[in-house]
Amino acid sequence: MQIDNHMSLKIAALSKNEAFARSVVAAFCASVNPTVDQLSDIKTAVSEAVTNAVVHAYEVDSGIIEINASLSGRTVHIEVLDEGVGIEDIVRAREPFFTTKPGDERSGMGFTVMESFMDTLEVKARDGGGLCVRMSKNFDMNGE
Amino acid sequence: MKIVFKTVNSILYVGISGELDESMARQARESLDAMIDEADMKKVVFDMSELSFMDSTGIGVILGRFKKLKALGIPLLIANPTKAVDKILNLSGVYQHMPKVMF
Repeated sequence: MQIDNHMSLKIAALSKNEAFARSVVAAFCASVNPTVDQLSDIKTAVSEAVTNAVVHAYEVDSGIIEINASLSGRTVHIEVLDEGVGIEDIVRAREPFFTTKPGDERSGMGFTVMESFMDTLEVKARDGGGLCVRMSKNFDMNGE
Repeated sequence: MKIVFKTVNSILYVGISGELDESMARQARESLDAMIDEADMKKVVFDMSELSFMDSTGIGVILGRFKKLKALGIPLLIANPTKAVDKILNLSGVYQHMPKVMF
């Protein structure tokens, strides 16, 4: 896969950084002229992944979230990485409406939204702890 | 994010504008709950015509208010969602619980 452009961002795992993170990734994608709807999907998916790290990965300790994005033609590949507590059962966590925090009014839709708004989604544990969320979207498809 | 309230003919109109994500969720919950506890209304309408962004955290906030209102016997409607917000509301099945209206 030929990478035409790349960006990396490290932010403190704070909810107030979510808007910054999703705006940066959307701005990075702008060079290949996605539609407004596609940019909206990217923003939502990034927001879900970052929220997951803020709320779940670093619930007890503070930490850093790393966001990498690369463009290959008109496809964006996005990675959201944390070094937090990880997810015990990733398969179950990806089920719609599954949440470990029902009392906190969590919808349990985070991974479902990422999966629906992007073309691919991969969630896996990182060696040494934490979670890696990888997703991609091709801007030639689903242009609406 | 900004929330404004207006009551007309016993209907509480709640205008939610800006962006609703994790950083705004607590403020949204507290503001909405305070108004629901205070107001005397037969119906609540969340006007989302000026809400430019919402992720699944917002879904949790909306469903939480829906449950609270349902316990009081008060219906909740979603009005005029923007395209981006409508997409996540649809995906989450929110419209199975509260109807969407456009005006």
